[in-house]
Amino acid sequence: MNNGCFIYNDTFVHLLNLIYYLIQNHLKPENIKNTLYSPNLLDHVIVLKIEEDSEIIAKIITSMGSFTFRSIYYVFLSSADNKELIIYYLLLNGVKYKEKVLYHRNLKCVEKTINISRYVLHEVHKYKGFLRFKELENHILYAEIEPENDILSMVSHHFQRRLKNEYWIIKDVKRKILSIYDKKKYFFVLEENFSFETTKLSQKEIEIEELWKTFYKTIGILERKNDRCRMNFMPKKYWKYMLEMEEFL
Amino acid sequence: MNLKEKLKILADSAKYDASCSSSGSTRKTRGGLGNVAFSGICHSFASDGRCISLLKILMTNCCIFDCKYCLNRKSNNIKRAVFTPEEVCQITMNFYRRNYIEGLFLSSGIIKSPDYTMELLIKTISLLRKKYHFGGYIHAKAIPGASEKLLKDLGLLVDRLSANVELPTLNGLKLLAPNKSENHVSKIMQYVNINQSKKYVPAGQSTQMIIGATKESDLEIMGKSANLYNDYKLKRVFYSAYISVNKDSLLPVLESPPLKRENRLYQADWLLRFYHFKVNDLLDVKNPNFNILIDPKADWALLHLNEFPKEISKCSYYDLLKIPGIGVKSAKRILSSRRFFKISFDDLKKMGVVLKRAKYFITCNGKYFMNHDYFQKEFIEKNLVLEEKTSLNKVHEQLRFFNE
Repeated sequence: MNNGCFIYNDTFVHLLNLIYYLIQNHLKPENIKNTLYSPNLLDHVIVLKIEEDSEIIAKIITSMGSFTFRSIYYVFLSSADNKELIIYYLLLNGVKYKEKVLYHRNLKCVEKTINISRYVLHEVHKYKGFLRFKELENHILYAEIEPENDILSMVSHHFQRRLKNEYWIIKDVKRKILSIYDKKKYFFVLEENFSFETTKLSQKEIEIEELWKTFYKTIGILERKNDRCRMNFMPKKYWKYMLEMEEFL
Repeated sequence: MNLKEKLKILADSAKYDASCSSSGSTRKTRGGLGNVAFSGICHSFASDGRCISLLKILMTNCCIFDCKYCLNRKSNNIKRAVFTPEEVCQITMNFYRRNYIEGLFLSSGIIKSPDYTMELLIKTISLLRKKYHFGGYIHAKAIPGASEKLLKDLGLLVDRLSANVELPTLNGLKLLAPNKSENHVSKIMQYVNINQSKKYVPAGQSTQMIIGATKESDLEIMGKSANLYNDYKLKRVFYSAYISVNKDSLLPVLESPPLKRENRLYQADWLLRFYHFKVNDLLDVKNPNFNILIDPKADWALLHLNEFPKEISKCSYYDLLKIPGIGVKSAKRILSSRRFFKISFDDLKKMGVVLKRAKYFITCNGKYFMNHDYFQKEFIEKNLVLEEKTSLNKVHEQLRFFNE
């Protein structure tokens, strides 16, 4: 059964269970993929019957520390190729090096885990700032984002605390998923299962957007104009959903 | 005058204040709208590349003072406007709900008297906190000369309170800001420092100095900063390159703001706060100004070449911090990793060390990056200057400071 491409059922917990099974049985995967994977001719696809047991989380945290666990989770949220394999190799080394595993920066899987998790957190942080809500007719706040990594849950977590007394909806345009907050908790719905009107804005919306654009234009100091610097901190890919940048696109 | 026009005037008058940070507060909020993020969040970047995190406005740009460098001075013939407290609250709440901003930065020109102005700020912010239950970040400017009672009231409402030193020496202040007294500003700083707590100005205080409007040297500026950090535990000193907004015989005529100098001061400021440097290490009476061609740390290293090259696998944390191209984070990474494996030049790169600068000053497991004969001041200096020049176009003048 060695050298196969193992399939997990798309959840993080199941992936961890599968990897632990592989490690315990000394199976070396050639690849690990989710169910959306379309195998090529040379792949030897293996689907194991493995239970999804969330005990595994506590187990990893106890042996490798919560920082390592969080890093692994961020890798899972990323859009990196072969992220499952990176997690496999990290956990494999984690068995050996325990909570010190991330200090072994000369290992390829450690380097990748650190870089990818940093990249994911960076994107979350950017969206905490760059996300823009519009107020719809019914006073619901609505925002669209297009993140590279699957960070809708992390972004939602932030706005749950910040805008706790508001109804809001955030849409991940790329993944076609909505995060809906009902003043108590947020939950995820596929776009196709939830239709609502996003074009009818609240009465004062245009006026407030105008105020913001005015502020944005005024606050920059002409004598210090620096497009390159702005672009470094706020890359163009974010501009599409930022009303103050629309006219610069 | 409509609200849009007012906002334009009062944001325009506020934009020269360099402070933008929204970090460092741990204030807890219950109910209401908004919270603070300890790391601070930038919500946009302006055309000058500076971060926008707060709605930065003045309550009014009317002023009874006549500070020479200031756009809002009494003798300038410009459009004046005054916000009502309700207007400030409306804009803040509407912007915050839509996630345009992290909070409010409220300053003001001085109308009638310092106390009157300060009361206006308190009234506005208190309305925002109590009627609108705003839980986001607020940075207010304390008005020099206002009473201690008002300083106390305002500090309980905001995350950060600050007063601007503006000019590093008394002479400069007398020359350009005859109505301002240094005494007033240091009184504010002292009061805030003594009373600072989780409830009173939880994010601490900061200040700003204008660079290049008067003749002070970098040594005098850094000396002033060091004193401020020591005496009042300031969180930040901001440096703002002077921009000629007014014509006055007492003011210099500058073609463009001294941005490179401002950059060097920020770099040196960092060295003071996080790298255990002292002002005297970097500057002295013979060399009172920073080298414009090379950054202060590399400049220092070139003058102390006898302490280099340092061995990465052995030298202490403090020694690591002295190496150009190595920052606080990469130094810590080196420390935590070198117990487990032999660090190579390649590994250093992965840890975030800027190798193209650091390589001249280090050895890895006894090895220099090239023939050891090249370890000479002239050679290194030439390469560092060259490197800075080529990256000058890439590097931004204004650094954004993420961590406080």
